[in-house]
Amino acid sequence: MLKFENVSKIYPGDFVALEDIDIAIKKGEFVSIVGHSGSGKSTFLKLVYAEEQPTTGTVYFNERPLSAINRKHLPFYRRNIGTVFQDFKLLPKKTAYENVAYALEVSDGMMDEIKELVPEILDIVGMGNKMEKYPHQLSGGEQQKVCLARALVCKPLVIIADEPTGNLDPTSTWEIIQLLVKINSMGTTVLLASHNKGIVDKLNRRVIELEKGKLIRDNAKGKYDSNGKEKIATDEKRKQTV
Amino acid sequence: MKLIKLKRTFTEGLDNFYRNGWLSFATVSVLAISLYIISITIVLGVTANIILKNIQDKINVSVYFNSDVEENIILDIKSKLVGYQEIKSIDYVSKDQALEQFKKLGNNNPSILQALDEIGDNPLLSSLVIKAKTPDQYDIITSAIGNSSFAQDISRIDFEENKSAIQRLTSIIKLVEKVGFTLGIVFVFIGIMITFNAIRLTMYAHKQEFEIMRLVGASNIYIRMPFVFEGIFYGVASAFLVMIFLYITSKFLAPITQGSISGGDIVSFYFSNFFIIFGSLLLSGVALGTLSGIIAIRRYLKV
Repeated sequence: MLKFENVSKIYPGDFVALEDIDIAIKKGEFVSIVGHSGSGKSTFLKLVYAEEQPTTGTVYFNERPLSAINRKHLPFYRRNIGTVFQDFKLLPKKTAYENVAYALEVSDGMMDEIKELVPEILDIVGMGNKMEKYPHQLSGGEQQKVCLARALVCKPLVIIADEPTGNLDPTSTWEIIQLLVKINSMGTTVLLASHNKGIVDKLNRRVIELEKGKLIRDNAKGKYDSNGKEKIATDEKRKQTV
Repeated sequence: MKLIKLKRTFTEGLDNFYRNGWLSFATVSVLAISLYIISITIVLGVTANIILKNIQDKINVSVYFNSDVEENIILDIKSKLVGYQEIKSIDYVSKDQALEQFKKLGNNNPSILQALDEIGDNPLLSSLVIKAKTPDQYDIITSAIGNSSFAQDISRIDFEENKSAIQRLTSIIKLVEKVGFTLGIVFVFIGIMITFNAIRLTMYAHKQEFEIMRLVGASNIYIRMPFVFEGIFYGVASAFLVMIFLYITSKFLAPITQGSISGGDIVSFYFSNFFIIFGSLLLSGVALGTLSGIIAIRRYLKV
């Protein structure tokens, strides 16, 4: 579904955010992306939802290069991708219901569909009784659930979660992760960038590690940390599979 | 589908206008102040023009004829002068009419009436009261009359006595027109710049929202149109505000302008041109609000 082919991203001032990334992600996978701050996790995700363009190399989505998508068609591409961020990014002057409905409205969803789907999705994430609340009236965990609902409502092919639990307490953190796992079990590909060692270890899913912009590890079922020997061996194995 | 998009973006714009209470209030205030400056400049300019034209209309030159010149000769001279392109109007005032006017001016003062009785004959002369199209043409007219074939029938022309006053007035009118026009351009420009920058700041305040909208896959229409409608609402609200400000200003200026404008004063001018003023404000406000918004939002629409 997603493929990075020799992708590098260099920002002005010769800052190398990503270097020669070669990776493929299949439909339905749950991939944790780990690495220190500044390792390139967010840049990697930005390339997936086309917020940034690679300096060299190509990013493919469903075998179609993202560079071939006309700029005015990018909003249509982004409707295939649900995004969840550490800072929530909810529209502050809209209620929980309106924030989720907005994603459907801009996808030209019909009013009946919106009225039916939005409460349903909010129920699934456990926010059914707080639809009329504004973001400032919700806790961090509740806001993140609304974000998840918004990400889900257009039935995306991929959910990108960039440190979604960074600002949350442990209880809320696990609620969000469980929702992501549930979403993944229904067939949606999930890319989760996280600093949280506990989450990544417990998930025991595919782990990609970035360090200074380079892909240094790709384990089918990995932990947050890994020993040196395992890194290289798994890299080679992964490349052969791709 | 286009109708649905229009309806959704309109509702979005209206929601934004209400829910961003203080921001909307600040933007409407700035837009209203700018429109007020522009409209005051224009209204004052127009009013000054009207006042000056009224004064101009009161300027005239009287050509007095010798007492022995027959009325039919004077009327014949009048018909010749009507052909002069510089002359706007000529009125014949007979001796008798001049006497009546003189008595009225003196409020039928018994001493004046008694003095006239003692003189016996009507001492006043017949005249032609001439109005030029512009004040600076009186020189040409009086010069032409002075050198005409009927110059020997003329007793006097009262232009020379009023010449300097007329020339001074002409200079004032020209200066007011020039200064008024320049000031008008400057204030209009300032008003536009103030509004544009205020709306740019408003757009900046929405910066994060644009980012979020792009992330959820909103196309440029869904991002831009609500702010176009918001700009329209700003324009409409400020037009109403400015009409109130203008009414208050005209009430304040009414005593100064009393009698200077035909129909009364500046308040009567306000009401007699109410729909034109309001329509212009509405159009300008909406245009300014919307265009500024469209230009300001462009930098946030990069995908």
